[in-house]
Amino acid sequence: MDKAISVQALTIAYGAATAVSAVDLDIARGKVTVLAGPNGCGKSTLLRAIRRLHQPKSGEIRLGDLPISGLKEKELARHIGLLAQSPSAPDDMSVEELVRLGRYPHQTMLQPWSAADSDAIQAAMFGTGVSHLAERRLGSLSGGQLQRVWIAMVLAQETDIICLDEPVNHLDMAHQIDCLDLVSRLNREHGRTVVLVLHDLNLAARYADRLVFMKEGGLVADGAPAELMQEALIENVFGISCRVIEDPVHQRPLCIPIRNSSPRFGTAPQV
Amino acid sequence: MLLILMYLSLAIGYRLYSPGEIWRAVTAFDGSEAHVVIRDLRLPRALMAPLVGAALGISGVLVQTLSRNRIASPDTLGLNAGAAFAVVMASGLFGVASLPGLSMAAAAGALATSLLVFGLAAAAGGISPLRIVLVGVTFAGLFDSFVNVVLTVNETMLDQLLFWLAGSFADRKLSLGLNGLPFVLIGGGIAFYLTRSLDILQTDDSTARGLGVPLGAVRGLSFVAVALLSGASVAMAGPVLFVGLVVPHAARALVGLEHRLQIVAAALVGAVYTTLADIVARFVIFPREAPVGAVTAIVGGCLLLVLLRRRAA
Repeated sequence: MDKAISVQALTIAYGAATAVSAVDLDIARGKVTVLAGPNGCGKSTLLRAIRRLHQPKSGEIRLGDLPISGLKEKELARHIGLLAQSPSAPDDMSVEELVRLGRYPHQTMLQPWSAADSDAIQAAMFGTGVSHLAERRLGSLSGGQLQRVWIAMVLAQETDIICLDEPVNHLDMAHQIDCLDLVSRLNREHGRTVVLVLHDLNLAARYADRLVFMKEGGLVADGAPAELMQEALIENVFGISCRVIEDPVHQRPLCIPIRNSSPRFGTAPQV
Repeated sequence: MLLILMYLSLAIGYRLYSPGEIWRAVTAFDGSEAHVVIRDLRLPRALMAPLVGAALGISGVLVQTLSRNRIASPDTLGLNAGAAFAVVMASGLFGVASLPGLSMAAAAGALATSLLVFGLAAAAGGISPLRIVLVGVTFAGLFDSFVNVVLTVNETMLDQLLFWLAGSFADRKLSLGLNGLPFVLIGGGIAFYLTRSLDILQTDDSTARGLGVPLGAVRGLSFVAVALLSGASVAMAGPVLFVGLVVPHAARALVGLEHRLQIVAAALVGAVYTTLADIVARFVIFPREAPVGAVTAIVGGCLLLVLLRRRAA
């Protein structure tokens, strides 16, 4: 496998609490990898650690052959882009102003704005279908449009690797599909390596080339969706009994949750 | 427009002077009363008002971006209150009464306060925009109360210092402006150096770090710039309120949110606004002079209301 990133024996702790413990993971170049697992399983922490937003307690992350700990801030930002969870910017910032921010790692004091920068932001806005919104204020956009604009910002960064932390969290069903189709197209047509954190297991199974299950900070399983979407494994990781069938449209495994096998809110009255 | 105002600042006031008179006062000083007024009273304020305005405009932009808060300003961070406190202390404890002495105390107070605010905000576990504002507001309140207590107890001091505490350009010597100039230039220079990083500081921390901005370093440097700019202004004119709050709003309305333009616009708008306020201050309670700080606050408050109304509409 051609590795874009390899995570080796990574442990991350917040004070005394261990968020990620002894994780080994290789992320394949040019593929879509989705990190999934229950709340608090460490998937977002792992994603953010890949972009060096958390310092490891032990272990190492390599970008190709280079340890990321040795890279300069801007250098790393030219290789890995991050769409943070619930990103924010001023309401009165224009779409184009936001997308332009993506060029920061490519600019220097002496070369503040180049033709390559203009090309990149035009291409990013075109690719995400937001060119017509360029002059609009962020505060006037709908949730779906706003998320496209943020993706355009990350795209303008022109990184080989794009990390997205729960990009469809606050979107309705149509916009979730719209957003993930866009991400998947960036992967297929532009060969970008994509790492996603997704809550919705069925969306994860539908868009992932490779699925990674995490639980309590550890990596439980890692493989193609067809291998991982097993009823027993899902029950073990997510604590819910379920049936897995084949999605008749996309021929991907589809999980139908039945009952929480370890109820967190007490047992519902039997009817 | 700035140049016209600077000229007006020379020409009008308690006495009016013709362009020829002003020109001769600068080029061929003859010691007459008119020439003395122009050279020693009018010229310093015509030059210092725009300088202070520009400094406060830039420092307002920096504070608002740094705190991600559009109602923050150097006042909010307690810099003026810290300066006032230092002035009261210097006057009360060491009997400093001269204007240059008070200016030094003011600058030292503003610098010390900014160090204190930044240090405490950082010590409380990483500089977050919210923490900067919280610590700043706390110190602003604290120093204001100290000043009020001291001045209530000591009425003679109140009389002596009131002219300073209200902020004014009257009776300033040109040398005061020349001393302030390098600090304003360095502060402005730092702001310019940071423009691209400041653009990105407007987003959340994760996004900013994801784009490769070293947050701690940028915030630290911005704070240095704020301290230099605000310290120099308060030393030159005392606390001139509301300029640092209103001017950034006007600048953004004019040129948008990119700091390269925003900072230039804020410097110009600040200079125009303060010079205008200084001229207006000579007439509101004619023939006496109102403190310029009061004028900027009153006009600024009204302007801000207009801006808010327009935003809402």
